[in-house]
Amino acid sequence: MSLLDGGKAAVLLFVAAIAQVSIFGQARVLGAVPDLLLVTLVAVALLRGSLAGAVGGFYAGLLVDSASLGELGLTSLVLTVSGYWIGRYGETTGRDRAHAPFLSVAVVTVLYGFGLLVVHFVLGESAPAGAVVRSLAPAIAMNLVLTGPVYALVRRLLRPENRDELSAEVQLLG
Amino acid sequence: MLASSVQRSKSNPYPSKARSALVRRIVLTVLVLGALTLLTISFRSPTSGALHDAQGIAASGLRPFQIAAARVARPFRDAYDYVDGLASAKSQNEKLRREVSRLRAQASASEALAARSAELEKLLKYEQGKTYPKDYRAVNAAVTSFPAGPFTQQIAIDAGADRGLRINTPVVSGDGLVGRVTNVYSHSAVVTLLTDANSYVSARDLDTGVRGLIRHGQGNTLILDQVAKQVVVNKGDQLVTDGTRDARYPDLYPYGIPIGTVSSVGIQDTASFLQVQVEPYANLGSLDSVAALVATKGG
Repeated sequence: MSLLDGGKAAVLLFVAAIAQVSIFGQARVLGAVPDLLLVTLVAVALLRGSLAGAVGGFYAGLLVDSASLGELGLTSLVLTVSGYWIGRYGETTGRDRAHAPFLSVAVVTVLYGFGLLVVHFVLGESAPAGAVVRSLAPAIAMNLVLTGPVYALVRRLLRPENRDELSAEVQLLG
Repeated sequence: MLASSVQRSKSNPYPSKARSALVRRIVLTVLVLGALTLLTISFRSPTSGALHDAQGIAASGLRPFQIAAARVARPFRDAYDYVDGLASAKSQNEKLRREVSRLRAQASASEALAARSAELEKLLKYEQGKTYPKDYRAVNAAVTSFPAGPFTQQIAIDAGADRGLRINTPVVSGDGLVGRVTNVYSHSAVVTLLTDANSYVSARDLDTGVRGLIRHGQGNTLILDQVAKQVVVNKGDQLVTDGTRDARYPDLYPYGIPIGTVSSVGIQDTASFLQVQVEPYANLGSLDSVAALVATKGG
């Protein structure tokens, strides 16, 4: 990942984090909130790999926790793991597949929700599993709506890297 | 042909694969440990310390971007509100809502005073105590971040210690009680909403005089807890903050702030108390601006 790409990804995640905290946080539908930041992180991780996903997740989490005056590190922890995991998926089986962004967003929305639930539970804070489960379907639906345009925009700014530059620990035959 | 040597395709050895995998795992480990360290420090000292100060500075730095984002989004929100309003007879609804809000405020204030007058004599010595929250001034503030999910029942506002806010300062909207300040930075503060699991407010039923404890219920609802089965609470009763009843144990909230109305009352044989559901006056899911009630005396 070049320095220019890193700068672009940083700006993208910054804008997404600010928009998430200031705008999208209010758009609550059936108890769920569309997560522009998560969708943007998924797009960056798919296009630039696990390292960019993990670093981007950490950075974006810090921004969100700072802007919302939340517990510093909480969002970073979950987004770092999410970004890394999606990056690995992109580097291996997910590359070049049209459905990869949508599948990733759907899965990561679920994992992100339960990841936050686990962290809050471990910290001894309120962890309403029922509310998380109830809000999953609308959250996935709203995030999937965002996925198409966001992925297209991120792909336009961060052009896919050469296949050979990506790792290939899982090779498909045929 | 069979005998001829065939150039074997050069396999891609991924010479840097092992190294890059190692780097990747090291970076992931460092980031996760970094996040855990931040989380630990933040959790152990949520209201003070270098990290707390750094977060406050970072939040101040990010605020202009947040305000800009909110301004950019404002026309879209207004357009949405307009369309939404057309569908529900916006003008009439808006007018009636303002009217109801005004009358409710008047009624609550009058009833609070009336209900209080009977006890004024008894409470006089408490009210004259040094810690009794007699006078408050309103510090208006814009909401800069909103609860982003079922875990977070907090909002951030753009007023902080510089404007006199302290931890436990009550926060209200134009409709009623919103919550209290639970973390203060120099130019911003965190407000924990009534619907938070750790939020408890002593409340009083203006219609029956019954006292109880407002806390969160299932699905971000509010309930009036600790109300004995023997007493009467009716649907539609108005609830206000109970305030300080004993100067030795000052309440966080002054008397008479409207909280909400009783939306249902239930009795179960197995439960020790009445099950009273409360509909808050303040729309906690859509707050744009709030006022913090800063004590001007003795606070």
